[in-house]
Amino acid sequence: MFDLFREISQTIKNNRSRTILTGLAVAWGIFMLIVLLGAARGVVNNFNDFSSDSSVNYINIWSGYTSLPYKGYRDGRRIRMKDSDMDEIKGEVKAATDASISATASGFNINGPKDYISGGFNAVYPGAQRSERLKMKEGRFINTRDLEELRRSIVLHTDNAELLFGSSEKALGNQVRAMGLSWKVVGIYSHRWRKDSYVPYATYKSITGGDGKVDEMNIKIGGITTEEEALATEKEIREVLARRHEFDPADENAVWIWNQFANYLSQGQAIVYLNLAVWVIGILTLLTGIVGVSNIMFVSVRERVHEIGIRRAIGAKPRSIIMQILTESVVITTLFGYIGIVSGMALLQVLSKVLTDELGFSNPTVDITIALEVTVALIAAGALAGLFPALKATKVKPVEALHDE
Amino acid sequence: MIGHLNEETVISLRDINKTYPGAVPLHVLKDISLDIRKGELVSIMGASGSGKSTLLNILGILDNYDSGTYMLDGTAIRDLSENRAAELRNRMIGFVFQSFNLISYKNALENVALPLFYQGIGRKKRNRLAMEQLERMGLADRAHHLPGELSGGQKQRVAIARAIVTNPSLILADEPTGALDSITSGEVMGVFRELNESGMTIVIVTHDPGVGASTNRIIRIADGRIEGSSDTPDFKKEQ
Repeated sequence: MFDLFREISQTIKNNRSRTILTGLAVAWGIFMLIVLLGAARGVVNNFNDFSSDSSVNYINIWSGYTSLPYKGYRDGRRIRMKDSDMDEIKGEVKAATDASISATASGFNINGPKDYISGGFNAVYPGAQRSERLKMKEGRFINTRDLEELRRSIVLHTDNAELLFGSSEKALGNQVRAMGLSWKVVGIYSHRWRKDSYVPYATYKSITGGDGKVDEMNIKIGGITTEEEALATEKEIREVLARRHEFDPADENAVWIWNQFANYLSQGQAIVYLNLAVWVIGILTLLTGIVGVSNIMFVSVRERVHEIGIRRAIGAKPRSIIMQILTESVVITTLFGYIGIVSGMALLQVLSKVLTDELGFSNPTVDITIALEVTVALIAAGALAGLFPALKATKVKPVEALHDE
Repeated sequence: MIGHLNEETVISLRDINKTYPGAVPLHVLKDISLDIRKGELVSIMGASGSGKSTLLNILGILDNYDSGTYMLDGTAIRDLSENRAAELRNRMIGFVFQSFNLISYKNALENVALPLFYQGIGRKKRNRLAMEQLERMGLADRAHHLPGELSGGQKQRVAIARAIVTNPSLILADEPTGALDSITSGEVMGVFRELNESGMTIVIVTHDPGVGASTNRIIRIADGRIEGSSDTPDFKKEQ
């Protein structure tokens, strides 16, 4: 075998330019496959990260402005949802298994001993922790006793806790001031992009006098599995709100609805198609490389008919000629394929540093299994690329080959 | 039948016929019968198109024949598989060609060692055996030179070293001096004579009367038939 590799290395050295050009075609094919797979993985990872930080089985609704006139009302009318809408939706929409509401109180600061944050807070139900996927780092989230006893409890984002108190440990159990009142920090949470502060809705309503108007409603849905069902549920919710607030059910601006479940399903489907497309493109690119190698091997065999004739005259069996050409093809494909794999992985490493989550990529790498699969595919591809030229080489009669110049 | 019947016959042809198919089939060898004994230095002479190269290809198991029998050193050569033919070529025949047929990117030593590679002999041993033959040809100092760096005579001596490295029963040479000047031709024929004196059987196809005269026996072929066989004067003298 060592001798065979020496033979091949001599042949390759003797045909350096041809070998390099062939190899580059293969390396490029593999490079593209790896980069495409890595990029797709990055998109998938980002989607999965996003999904894990979102609550996919929720429909979020925000108050908006009408864009269509309806029953004598002009368009541009402000629609403010009310907390009573929550019970109505839970009662009428079959798929709505739970709901929570959120009212945004803004225009004031939250003051701590070290610093302050501006903007205000969200008055919520306990369900907001799940609907907004807040991970508690310390303490707890708003609970039902906070609402029942109208406690002035507040939950802060870890960054804000550090800002207000110097560290999140110091924040827990201590007081901040907002709306001229003291609020006790009962919990500290973390989240990739949310940084709001949360207080009990009932407490907020009692402080402000309470017209029951809310800015956001989160409906937890269950018992549905398809995008169509999710969209139908969204329609039902919109119809309930349209009836209660007298706007056209077709008016999509009266309330803004983010159907996370439908998005999740459609994006999941898109990811399946993306993966499929990447593999198809990758395999086609690889096939182009294989066809290239096969072509070059055909040319190589054609150029070497005379040499093959000499070898056969002095005793080379057809099997050894086939072995030599096949091995040559496999060596070229595997060697340059590996260059493609390594370059592709190196680029993905760079991309994983440069591309941020905001750009839609998260850890765009390919794992070792894929690399091994690609390696096996490479060896098979190399053998396939060399097979036909090798068989052709043995079809030429030695006497004809010797006269081929 | 023309030849010397002897128990030590290396080549024995009986009624060999060969036709190349085509719109007008070409009957190139007609009832060729021939014996060549072990240790002979024979030339096959004939004009261009007489069939001498076809005969050499059949003798070298590079081409098939249509009818007749061919025995090479006691082995029937007929309907062989490609593998068996390659094995017999490797072990029993050494080829020397007009255009040398050396592999351009292999040095002299590697070219000479190549037949041993196909016998599965290890690199060290094949290099040692190849070097012995190059030394015999006076080319030890050219062992690591590529064919392009050698003169015509040197290339042909490398080719001869490659032909004899497996210690074959028979050397077949196709116009071995065709590409050489007269002085170099004389040197190459000298090498063949030396090899023959050491007991090797050599068949040379040539149209050069000078080369024919350097052999022990001339077989004349014309229009696909053997016209006659005659011992050369030098050979007769030696007898």
